[in-house]
Amino acid sequence: MADVDDERIRNSVENLGRVVVAFVSEFGYYLALVYESFYWVVAGPFKRQPVRFAAAVSQMVEVGIAALPIVFVLSFAIGVMLAIQGVHTLKQFGAETQVVLGIALSVTREFGPLITGILVAGRTGSALAARVGTMQVNQEIDALRVMGINPVRYLVSPVLLAMLVMMPAITLFSDLAAMLGGAVYCNAGLGLGYVAYWDQGTAFITANDVMQGLLKSMVFAVIITLIGVSNGFSVSGGAEGVGRATTRAVVLAISYIVLADMTFTYFLNR
Amino acid sequence: MNTDFAIQVEDLVTHYGPVKILDQINLAINPGEIMIIMGGSGSGKSTLLRHLLGLHTPTSGSIKLLGKDITKVSPTEMHDLRTNMGVSFQGGALISSMTVGENIQLPLREHTKLDESTMGIMARMKLEVVNLGGFEDLMPSQLSGGMIKRAALARAIVMDPKMLFFDEPSAGLDPVAASELDDLILKLRDSMKMTIVVVTHELESAFKIADRITVLDHGKILLTGSVSEVKNSSIARVQDLLNRRSRHDQINADEYMDRLTGET
Amino acid sequence: MAYEVQQDRGFAIVLLTGDVDLSCSPDARKTILDCLNSSQNTLVNLSDVSYIDSSGVASLVEGYQTAKKKNLEFGLIGVSGPAMSVLELARLDKVFPIYADIEECLKRDG
Repeated sequence: MADVDDERIRNSVENLGRVVVAFVSEFGYYLALVYESFYWVVAGPFKRQPVRFAAAVSQMVEVGIAALPIVFVLSFAIGVMLAIQGVHTLKQFGAETQVVLGIALSVTREFGPLITGILVAGRTGSALAARVGTMQVNQEIDALRVMGINPVRYLVSPVLLAMLVMMPAITLFSDLAAMLGGAVYCNAGLGLGYVAYWDQGTAFITANDVMQGLLKSMVFAVIITLIGVSNGFSVSGGAEGVGRATTRAVVLAISYIVLADMTFTYFLNR
Repeated sequence: MNTDFAIQVEDLVTHYGPVKILDQINLAINPGEIMIIMGGSGSGKSTLLRHLLGLHTPTSGSIKLLGKDITKVSPTEMHDLRTNMGVSFQGGALISSMTVGENIQLPLREHTKLDESTMGIMARMKLEVVNLGGFEDLMPSQLSGGMIKRAALARAIVMDPKMLFFDEPSAGLDPVAASELDDLILKLRDSMKMTIVVVTHELESAFKIADRITVLDHGKILLTGSVSEVKNSSIARVQDLLNRRSRHDQINADEYMDRLTGET
Repeated sequence: MAYEVQQDRGFAIVLLTGDVDLSCSPDARKTILDCLNSSQNTLVNLSDVSYIDSSGVASLVEGYQTAKKKNLEFGLIGVSGPAMSVLELARLDKVFPIYADIEECLKRDG
């Protein structure tokens, strides 16, 4: 009996060890990838391997501009929902008109960046994993390397730059769309005028609130890029592997975004 | 002395995880020579090629390309070496998001500051060399397997490299296309004086283009020699490969039992 | 690589020597195009070329095309062995007007 128990304990300790090692090595890999991406942005020109600005711009269009319609629709809907819930809750205290404060704060600090992060993780994170994964399977990554083109410099750095610029921009857009959603409901439900709504909203929120959201969105940008790309690079096993990596990238990216968001919110609001 | 060889491999040992893939490989290839690396599946020939390309780090041993040991060179030196290497991968490995023309121009764009029109002419010239004139605006997905291989070859030679590497050039090609590719390899060597390394298991093509052949089996070199030396070799395993016979290795009973019971 | 331009019986003769490769083909290209842009009939002397890569050949192609557009004469003279095999690879030996020397070129015109 004792032997069996011993073995069971040993196995579970061993498994725990494996999971920890796997986690640490993956995390270390992410850090190395961030470092290398920025290294090429800075040192590339001196090594005759500059990061192409044109590639970053086309990524910005792909990451940012193309995402605007869906970001608008979802953020607008979130704004409406916040307004509905807010009015419903505040009605019990007879303080419906304070709803604007709730909407403005939760949108800029929380929902804008979060919705944007989840949407971009779904769109760009998966696209990155699929693209890089397919390139890995087709030996295109090897081809780049033997041509003397560093894959991180060529594939990752432009995307990371684009994401760092576009994520805050989309988040700001999402903030505005959600505020508009709230305004439309408040106007219809409470008869609150748009100008009064805007004045109230902007009176409450500070630059700090908006900055908090934008800072979060930049962290999300790094998370999405890294997880997408690293899952792509680690693909093995053909088309099926690409599918698996894509799913894993999206699930992981969204999980990390929510966790990072929670951590941020906790520390920034102490 | 050593620098006289275009490619020189000394005492190369490599592992994949705990499994030894290549064992004490010694190989020297002269400038302008066509060397065929032959062997069955799992012989380690593709691994050897990947090490020659600097895609893996060996466990021990050295690999000298144009006199420089790629296991020790600085990234900058490796970068310079890479501009002197062309590689044609088994599946072509064209970047699927770019047109054929953009693919071929990619090395030029990344490594040179040539005029736009010069790069265009160079790319189209290489397409002509591989008989794909006029296909530059197509996407790789619109090409057949044979055309993709030829386009990949055009990209491999666009910088006029001193060394050219092929992974299974005739795999998946019909006999005529395969033979044309062989002719093209010979033509490239003759006019550009390239050193060419071809990994293949196609005997016919190997005998047609080889200056020398290296036969690999289970990670070891069985022999390196001219076509006739290989054909007349008395090594049983070489003859098995040549005559497409199934292997008839001696079974070591103890080792075999260990493998079956998983105790190794 | 070294290059010089001589004038001989109505032709600008661009003499290329040594290795014409990536590092110097932009110079060769510019020299050839300069001659043609100043409306001179141009011959490129490749007799002392020890090696020419495709960027060099591309410069010749561009020169020939420019000459055609401007109705100027363009040709290669004294093509060396190494240069010839590179031209043959791209089947350009059948495209360029190739002469042994300037006399042969003049004779053909005359």
